Amino acid sequence: MSLYLFQILNGVGLGMIYFLISVGLTIIFGLLNFVNFAHGAYYLIGSYLCFTVVALTGNFWLALAIAPIAVAILALITERILIKRAYHLPHTYHILITLGIALIIQELTISIWGPIGKSVAVPEALQGVFQMGNFFYPKYRLFVILFSAVIAFALWLLLERTRFGALVRAGSEDTETVSLLGTHIHKLFSITFALGVGLAGLAGVLAAPIRGVHPFVGVEVLGIAFVVVVIGGMGSFTGALVGGLIVGLVQSLMTTIWPQGASLMIYGAMAFVILLRPYGLFGRA
Amino acid sequence: MMKQKRSSLLGGVTLATLATVILMPLLLPSATLATEILIFAMAALACNLLLGYTGLLSFGQGIFFGGGAYIASICMIHWNFGLLSALLSAMLAGALLAGLVGALSIRRKGIYFVMLTLSFSQMAYFIAYSVSDWTGGDNGLLDIPRPALTLLGFEISNLVSSEAFYAFVATLFMLIFIFARRVIHSPFGTTLVAIRENENRASAVGFSTNHFKLLAFVISGGITGIAGALYAMLLNFAPLSNIELQMSENILIMTIIGGTGSLFGSILGAGSIVLLGDVLSSVWPRWMILLGIALIAVVLFMPSGLWGGLGSIADRWREYRRSKEPEAKSREAN
Repeated sequence: MSLYLFQILNGVGLGMIYFLISVGLTIIFGLLNFVNFAHGAYYLIGSYLCFTVVALTGNFWLALAIAPIAVAILALITERILIKRAYHLPHTYHILITLGIALIIQELTISIWGPIGKSVAVPEALQGVFQMGNFFYPKYRLFVILFSAVIAFALWLLLERTRFGALVRAGSEDTETVSLLGTHIHKLFSITFALGVGLAGLAGVLAAPIRGVHPFVGVEVLGIAFVVVVIGGMGSFTGALVGGLIVGLVQSLMTTIWPQGASLMIYGAMAFVILLRPYGLFGRA
Repeated sequence: MMKQKRSSLLGGVTLATLATVILMPLLLPSATLATEILIFAMAALACNLLLGYTGLLSFGQGIFFGGGAYIASICMIHWNFGLLSALLSAMLAGALLAGLVGALSIRRKGIYFVMLTLSFSQMAYFIAYSVSDWTGGDNGLLDIPRPALTLLGFEISNLVSSEAFYAFVATLFMLIFIFARRVIHSPFGTTLVAIRENENRASAVGFSTNHFKLLAFVISGGITGIAGALYAMLLNFAPLSNIELQMSENILIMTIIGGTGSLFGSILGAGSIVLLGDVLSSVWPRWMILLGIALIAVVLFMPSGLWGGLGSIADRWREYRRSKEPEAKSREAN
């Protein structure tokens, strides 16, 4: 029993990380109406920045504070220089330009940090296990669940209760009208892009002490984020949360049943949802 | 007038392709390199049928490429299949996989379609990785034979020398190129273009667009499967990387950099990238950065790719000539 509880908690933790990745993808898609194929690459930068900061200072909390912001700033720069120029082009070109960025980031990462993966130490304060009765659970993983739940709530408040959130939601419905009502739409685009990508960077930092850092993980992360948004429905906060948790739980529970097929099963789950509900669980036609 | 010019130009494309295929082994340092170019040109050609002519951006081409390579290799290793029957089974495998992936993916349109093909590509990778008894998992399949080419019991060539294998691949490539051109210029192909331009309109006119898209997928998958099998025979090895997402991306990038408007563009794209990789990969292992930069540059400055770029240079030259003509005439008059 406690083995299953252990795996369920693992699944929730993994699911929250998947949520952080996918919700960024979803917000960007909702407002800017394009899919960021470099999303996994920005996650990659987040995790490697975490590695570097921890290696230099030994302080994980500093990494947690700096890396996501650095990733967001980098996103802002690439958006201003490159992606902005493709807004007026068809979908295909958005995909290709972000695919090009992803390729450059991945190769640069290998040039800087080498092709072999590295591990990141769990911060000292969170080493060891949390004990309740005869149930033990690693403290760091528990922290990941709680911390990402706080971030999720903060993000929900930001999107539902602030002027910025209202603009993002309104822009997702009708960009042109929001622009006509006097909002500087390109500024809104840039900030939203940086926010969404910053969340992917944050996910990279949180996952680093659990899974280590590896230069080819960007593609895997992108694939999983797609599964999450396909299951949950694109452009939906709830969809990203539920989809992320489903994918995390499926992957984690399958690890005990059929380890080799754990990654396979999440894609199977996606095919299943597509057959039953082509627009995802929370998606609109 | 316009139509006449167009058809003569297209006949020229087949001749240009034939000339390229004949000249390539003479100009390049090795027949093996030329063979690799043609194999990837075949894969890019199939990708072009989907992207350039049907408007479907598929990240699933690696599934068909890797699937073809695995099936042909397994058939040859375990059941002693001959050359042509191995290629046939690779084609069927590619077509079948494409049918499956296509049938599921075309349930969604636009961006969702693209995301689905990418996810299926990841799925195929994990399948190949987990059935390591058949695929060799991380190590890949080793010692893949290259059977002799026999027809009706007569051995035509043993295909041992790289030149002989090039000749075989080149013949196959020309057949596929001509087939692809026939497909594009058939009513079926024109319908595909109609779907690319405006799917709603095509379906309103009465075409069942999903059937057309699916058939385009199946054709593309079949050709890509053959390319994968030939690649395994060329290397005598079927690595796991054949079915990785990176393979799908590479095929896609070759197609786009070459230009999606013309089948000849696919040869240009495959040729330039395989050559670039051959020259640079030993000197600078991170040469793929250049591909990323090239991709961005093509999107921002040359959306019609290398072939389109050459075309617009040719147009400018013609305009320049035309602008000179009246001058020359007026000079004659004086």
